[in-house]
Amino acid sequence: MTSEEEDLLVEQVASAYRPPSPDELRYHPAWHDLPAAARVRAFDLSRSLRPLEAALDPEGLSTTARAVLQKLVSARTI
Amino acid sequence: MDLDVHLAAIVAGDTRAFGQWMAGAEDSVRLSLRSFATVVDVEAVLQEALLRIWQVAPRFEPDGKPNGLLRLGIRVARNLAISEVRRTRATPVEPTALEIAFEPQAPDPLLRRAIIECRQQLPPKPREALDARLQSAGAQDDAELATSLRMKLNTFLQNFTRARQLLADCLRRKGIVV
Repeated sequence: MTSEEEDLLVEQVASAYRPPSPDELRYHPAWHDLPAAARVRAFDLSRSLRPLEAALDPEGLSTTARAVLQKLVSARTI
Repeated sequence: MDLDVHLAAIVAGDTRAFGQWMAGAEDSVRLSLRSFATVVDVEAVLQEALLRIWQVAPRFEPDGKPNGLLRLGIRVARNLAISEVRRTRATPVEPTALEIAFEPQAPDPLLRRAIIECRQQLPPKPREALDARLQSAGAQDDAELATSLRMKLNTFLQNFTRARQLLADCLRRKGIVV
C-alpha cells in the first residue's frame, strides 16, 4: 500500500460512518486494512475533526453524536 | 462543568438532552480509549458505548460527585474495548495517565464563529465534500457520499482532506490551532 492509499483509508476510518448492525459491534471495513500506526493516526484525526464538526452543527453535535442519536431514534421506531 | 445537569432529562427519555451530554462528554470518552486504537476500532466502540450509556442512564445512581454519568461512561467504554480485545484476541494494552484524566468540553462560540467564516472561504468541491460528510452524520459511507456528488471515491476523499487542511490553515491564521 502506498502512503497516499493509506492516507485515504485513514480519512475513511476517521469518519463517523460505521456499518449498521442491530446487535453487534461493526468495524469500518477499512480499519482492518490499516497498520497499527495508521490506526492511531485515524484515532487522532477523528479526535481533531469532531470539535470542528460540532462547531458547524446548529446544536453543537459532532457526527459521532448525530450517528448515535440517529441509532436511538431508529431503535425506538422499530 | 458538571454534565450531570442533563441527567434528569436523559432519564426522562429526552434525546436532545442526551445530545447535549454527548457534546460535552464525547471527547473524554474517546480519549479514554486511545491506548486501544491499534487493536479495536475506537469509533465503533465509542458509538456502542454511548448507546449503552443511554440505556443504563435510568438505573444510574449519582454518588454526589460531579460528572458521575461521564465517569460511568468511561468505564462502560473501556470495558467494552477490553471485551473487544478478548474477542479478537488482540494484544492487551495499558492505559496511560492521559486517558484517565478527563475534562468535559464546553461550547466555544469563538471557534464556532471562526470556523463558519473559514468554511465560507472553501473552494466549491472541498466544501461539497465537507458538507456531505456533515449532513450524512455517519449514516452513509464515503462511497455513497461520493456517488451522490458524482465524484469517484478517491476524488471525494481528496476533496475532504483538502477541506480539512484549508479549514485548519484558515483557523491557524485566526490564532486557533486544531
